[in-house]
Amino acid sequence: MNTDETTAGHLQELRRGTVVLACLVRLRTPDYGYALLESLNELGITVDANTLYPLLRRLEKQGLLTSEWNTDDARPRKFYRTSATGEQLAGALTTDWRRLDDALTRLTTGDER
Amino acid sequence: MNTLTDRYVWAAARNVPEVQRAEFANELRERIGDESDALIASGHSPADAEVAALTDLGDPAALAAHYVDRPLHLIGPRYFLTWWRLLKLLLVVVLPIATAAVLLAQLLSGDAVGQAIGESIATGISIAVHLGFWTTLVFAIIERSPSTVKVEIWTPEQLPQVPDAGRSHWLSDLIASAVFLVFFAGAIIWQQFFSVYADDAGQPIPLLDPELWSFWLPYFLVLIALELLFAIAVYTWGWNWWLVGANVVLNVAFAVPALWLFLTGRLFNEDYLDAAGWPWAEAGGIIATIIAVMFVVIPTWDVAEGIIKTVRGRGATRVTAAV
Repeated sequence: MNTDETTAGHLQELRRGTVVLACLVRLRTPDYGYALLESLNELGITVDANTLYPLLRRLEKQGLLTSEWNTDDARPRKFYRTSATGEQLAGALTTDWRRLDDALTRLTTGDER
Repeated sequence: MNTLTDRYVWAAARNVPEVQRAEFANELRERIGDESDALIASGHSPADAEVAALTDLGDPAALAAHYVDRPLHLIGPRYFLTWWRLLKLLLVVVLPIATAAVLLAQLLSGDAVGQAIGESIATGISIAVHLGFWTTLVFAIIERSPSTVKVEIWTPEQLPQVPDAGRSHWLSDLIASAVFLVFFAGAIIWQQFFSVYADDAGQPIPLLDPELWSFWLPYFLVLIALELLFAIAVYTWGWNWWLVGANVVLNVAFAVPALWLFLTGRLFNEDYLDAAGWPWAEAGGIIATIIAVMFVVIPTWDVAEGIIKTVRGRGATRVTAAV
């Protein structure tokens, strides 16, 4: 395994949980899969379609997202929205994210005590 | 005519449980449509865009499995170790016993020795395949069933003993036992077909009384198979008092019938002894006594050796613990 592959693997692991958090926060305003993918990538949260679509399904199954079919356009689209439980999880994840960020900052600046 | 998208959606949706199928198909159409539109917007022709979008999605069966969280492996990490331990156990315990039982049954029913061995090897292979297949099938079903089956919880008592210096010694013991036992079993079978003496019709005269094939020689062959299992047990666990006990039982089971058959004159073939010119004057009595004594001394020595190794093993454990 070369260095690039190793780096890519670790980056993927680091980002895995953050995609869930980003979806929960972003879907406070309802949106459909492709638009969500675009907007997350524009924000710099890189996520693959093969990861995102199954993830949305899983989050819906866990009751963290609710969904509704929008048939206004020629192509029916499934709009997802963060549920109340999803909101709670987003809160918990954000708190933990901040805590980790603080800890890493203290670690790198060297005044961890 | 169906479009490529229709065909793709159908191929993917049939891998999804029926209750989810319609919803899944709609989601997939939305995704393919949006991804194709994006490619068209970036300058592809509509036909190229559809092909490119579908190529990007990959194998429909894999995509569907990914969507519904179905495993793409036969047995996953949760059950793999349990499956592997059980399979090893079955192959080590059930397979030799079943094969030996088939061999014994064949011999008792009066089949020729070569045919009996051939058939028990064939049955053994078939048993091994069955053990592997059914065990794996059960675990593959458990892997796919929604309710989680409780896996045996690992505890520290399951830790194996650290192999010490004595351990390599056990391996050489195992190899020596295996070679000797296979040779011994081979010799019992071999003497039936090959002999230094032939009768008037040119047939070889076996050393051992052929009537023993009705029970005693198969009995000894099964004992040899058990001795082999015993040697593996010694290698696996090292000597302990249980194995010393088993060793006593095995040796008695071998030596007592052998000695009895010898003393009552039923062990060796009369014809063979005649052909060899037995008894050889005064030497005959001495040789008979030596053979009888060997039937007693060799098993006694074998039992004693086991006891010595067990005691030494205990001593070694204490020393290691003290260090």
